Amino acid sequence: MSAAYVKARFVLLALLLSTLSCKKERVNNLNLDQLHPEKLAVPGNFPAATDDPDNPLTKEGIELGRLLFYDTRLSGNNQLSCASCHHQNIAFSDATVLSNIGVSGKILPRHTPALINLAWATSGLFWDGGSTNLESQAFGPLTSADEMGQNLSELEFELKQVPDYQKRFKLVFGSEINSASVVKALAQFQRTLISGDSKYDQYIRKEAGANLTDQEKEGLSLVDSKCRNCHAGELFTDDRFHNNGIDADFSNDSFEGLYQGRYRISYNLEDLGKFKTPTLRNVLLTAPYMHDGRFSKLEDVLEHYNSGVKVSGTTDPTLLPTVGKRGILLTAKDKNAILAFLASLTDNTFIQNKKLSNPYHD
Amino acid sequence: MVAIAAILFTSCKKDDDTINSAEAAGKATISMDAVVGTNDFALNTNFTANGKTWNFTQLRYWVSNVILVNAAGVEYMVPNSFYLMEENTAVVTNSNFTYPAGKRENIQLTDIPAGDYTAIKFSVGVSEKYNNNLSLQAGELSQLNGMTNVSWMWATSYIFSSLKGTVNDGTTTKTIAVETGLNTNLKSVTLSLPQALHISSAKESTISLSADVAKITDGVDIMATPTIGASQAAEMTAVAGNYSSKVFTVKSVR
Repeated sequence: MSAAYVKARFVLLALLLSTLSCKKERVNNLNLDQLHPEKLAVPGNFPAATDDPDNPLTKEGIELGRLLFYDTRLSGNNQLSCASCHHQNIAFSDATVLSNIGVSGKILPRHTPALINLAWATSGLFWDGGSTNLESQAFGPLTSADEMGQNLSELEFELKQVPDYQKRFKLVFGSEINSASVVKALAQFQRTLISGDSKYDQYIRKEAGANLTDQEKEGLSLVDSKCRNCHAGELFTDDRFHNNGIDADFSNDSFEGLYQGRYRISYNLEDLGKFKTPTLRNVLLTAPYMHDGRFSKLEDVLEHYNSGVKVSGTTDPTLLPTVGKRGILLTAKDKNAILAFLASLTDNTFIQNKKLSNPYHD
Repeated sequence: MVAIAAILFTSCKKDDDTINSAEAAGKATISMDAVVGTNDFALNTNFTANGKTWNFTQLRYWVSNVILVNAAGVEYMVPNSFYLMEENTAVVTNSNFTYPAGKRENIQLTDIPAGDYTAIKFSVGVSEKYNNNLSLQAGELSQLNGMTNVSWMWATSYIFSSLKGTVNDGTTTKTIAVETGLNTNLKSVTLSLPQALHISSAKESTISLSADVAKITDGVDIMATPTIGASQAAEMTAVAGNYSSKVFTVKSVR
């Protein structure tokens, strides 16, 4: 059998299969012969995003990651995808205090984080930063028995049954399907989950016709003066870890220190009870709040900062008692203005972006 | 990458040959023979050590950054050196895909520059760059063999070493699971060879080491702390220190 014959047969097979799969998938019209390097679409008011030299973005890698993100083959019971807990219409969060939809059915000890602007999340993923990069992070939910519960050898086997995947992995990573490439593709897609087109963004970029109401501007001013120590910059997070005073006792070391925050990763006592600052972007969509989802409404969150801060050795200094009263003092009028401003951080372009949506649905 | 390094090296060697008539690069086997005191290590077998009876079901550890030091103190670092040493029964998983039982005590090195070597260095664990990013591939690193994060909950990284089984102090039996990991516990081992080892293409050399499993938990109150993982930071550091300074000794070189 000549090499040319084999190649011709392969191309024919590939064409046939791509035609078949295109019926189901919106990801199509791809020239699957060559890779196209891709740059992130960084909003004008954002800081620069750094590329990962070990996993450079390509158009084809991002699309492969999107297919995988929405593919239930990634779970042990083939019923869950990443998107099962990260819904685009609510900024890739899950509107659940503590999810129990994982393979084991157990209630997870922490709240599902929203996936927003992860290309800038460089100080670790998870509420305690236990994973250094998006690539490694994916192995957590993939393999955890209480989440997707997938055996990685089984994952490789199942994906290899799909000729379209074989072709895409070969093109993007130049190799057979393996779990390292799976997480690299997922990371590429997740870096494109960029939210920077809210009413606030259009206002701050001085786009034509964009403006904030007086109350929203007042809210922005209050946020700037009271919240920016943690919710810093245009990303509205400093990407750091803080004890925001929702608890004062972190002596419970069960589940390998799960309730002790960043301490379980750093083993530095100064990190007891510190958790990653979530972004304020799309915050109206991402209820409930905190690492354990304890606050169901933003009003509860604001009241916590106004009157509920509990003090321990690691409580963030900006929340400590000033003159007589602790926390961030907020009047009812302040709260309403802040809530109005936070609504202006909702990004409808992001939650409706077809490039980020489920490719298996028409 | 290995191939490129080999080609580069081979070509350098040829130049040397023409100029200096130097010897060609050689091969060496590093044998890490697991023992318990003076007895050969075996699974599911009772051993008496440190006044207790031990019975093991698993011994696994990553060896990385293998370096050979010559008589002049020049270091040859073996490229892509990540090796999983093990003696274990099949690893049970949640799936039909299991990791098979196996025993591995030897590392085969090739293309070692000819010369007289007087010391060997290696690390037990995985260096920070690779430990922090499980998607990077080098040597034998793999996410598929149960030596990654699963038992570590959310700190996604490699398990550097794992020793499992039971221990009995005469009255009580405890199930032990002694693991090391985390970048701060990456420790190196330096062993001087009893005499200089000449490596060249003329013969295959062997560096025979002992890995004394009884030393892994030396100084740790194993009955009080039978499970050593991320939450037992002090004990884990002690175990990592034992791998660095007590577990490995040189038996012979030839």
